[in-house]
Amino acid sequence: MTAPRLSPDAARTRLAETLVKVGSEDRAAFRDLYDLTSAKLFGICLRICGQREAAEDVLHEVYLIVWRRAGAWEPGRASPITWLATIARNRAIDWRRSAGGRPTTTLDDAPDLPDLTPDAEAGLVAAGERHRLVDCLAELDDRQRDSIRTAFFDGVTYADIAARAAVPVGTAKSWIRRGLARLKDCLDR
Amino acid sequence: MTDDRPDSSVDVEAAELALGLLDGDERAAALRRVLSEPAFATEVERWRLYVAQLFDLWPEVEPPEGLIDRIDLSLGGPSPIRARRLPWPMIATVMTAIAAMLLVVVALRPNPTVPPAPPPPVPVGQPAPPPTSPQPMLVAALGTEKPVPAVFEPATGRLRLAGSPAVAAGRVAQLWVIGGDATPHALGLLGDGDNALVLTGVDAARLVAGATLAVSDEPPGGSPQSTPTGPVVATGALRAV
Repeated sequence: MTAPRLSPDAARTRLAETLVKVGSEDRAAFRDLYDLTSAKLFGICLRICGQREAAEDVLHEVYLIVWRRAGAWEPGRASPITWLATIARNRAIDWRRSAGGRPTTTLDDAPDLPDLTPDAEAGLVAAGERHRLVDCLAELDDRQRDSIRTAFFDGVTYADIAARAAVPVGTAKSWIRRGLARLKDCLDR
Repeated sequence: MTDDRPDSSVDVEAAELALGLLDGDERAAALRRVLSEPAFATEVERWRLYVAQLFDLWPEVEPPEGLIDRIDLSLGGPSPIRARRLPWPMIATVMTAIAAMLLVVVALRPNPTVPPAPPPPVPVGQPAPPPTSPQPMLVAALGTEKPVPAVFEPATGRLRLAGSPAVAAGRVAQLWVIGGDATPHALGLLGDGDNALVLTGVDAARLVAGATLAVSDEPPGGSPQSTPTGPVVATGALRAV
């Protein structure tokens, strides 16, 4: 990526315009969209699939879905990157569940997960944009925050989280639900 | 598994569904709530957007070089490199013509719920342009006791159901699709026998592998609102074949 860095707003606008063009079956725009988004989406696929080869196949499938569905993306509803990232996360989770395998817990070449503290967020957040969720996650205890982080970034269920922590499913559920209730309380404030 | 809810006064099922914590029966139960409780569906959507804030923090990894070429190739049709130099206007013209033809085909079908429609005329004569993408068919089995098979052909937009899940006397079966947005979108009403619906645009785009088809029991004419009002009688997930 040697392109000059755009401001977050300009980057988002450019991405939205590119996605709209893809929606009208513009193949050149499709390649542009890939250049703009593939590192983020591959990061998602790789983390959740836990294997490079599978992640590449899922990424391939994700862009085919994007090509077919871009016309259905509604500007103003979800941001383009949220829309794309959601497709990637869902496809990667579907792949992993259909592959029947437990998620790989260690992945040699995947970068570390963000630690979800407001400090870590500071450098990444678009100007003027608040990440309420991150602020609220900071109010949870470590175990609750880690479980919720794992659920999102690894795309795992209660059963997986319980297995990883070697506790009964009911126990994992109970602490995560308490965490979600506190999160909800904070977000509603 | 309700006895292990530590704090039953707070309903966090929407958050659980949005995060993907649920599986099996619990996930199915939550999806039924999405269909039957508009407030719950809104709550799931809200959580989905909250959780999506975390995508900004997701570490990026460059995919291997050349993957875009593999993807591009699998879309079929002319490569964008050639397309950019020469035949775009021509492709656009052909595409417009095809779109117009499809519109006529759709317009000539007075009521997409009338069963069973004959297969659509296959345009012949002109050499057909290469398909824009290889599109696998999608199938789903609606319901568990007497599942109704559903087949969707993305290329033609035809969704066929061999029968219809049973609904109460004097009521109609309405078909919905729930995709990544966790919101039910109406696709049409089902008749008693086999059903063939032709989906276009946004509706067709919502039918992808992993999306869920659902049938609800509704008053004649279908649900008076944008979400189901009656019980959901059958669901099934779409899979590519």
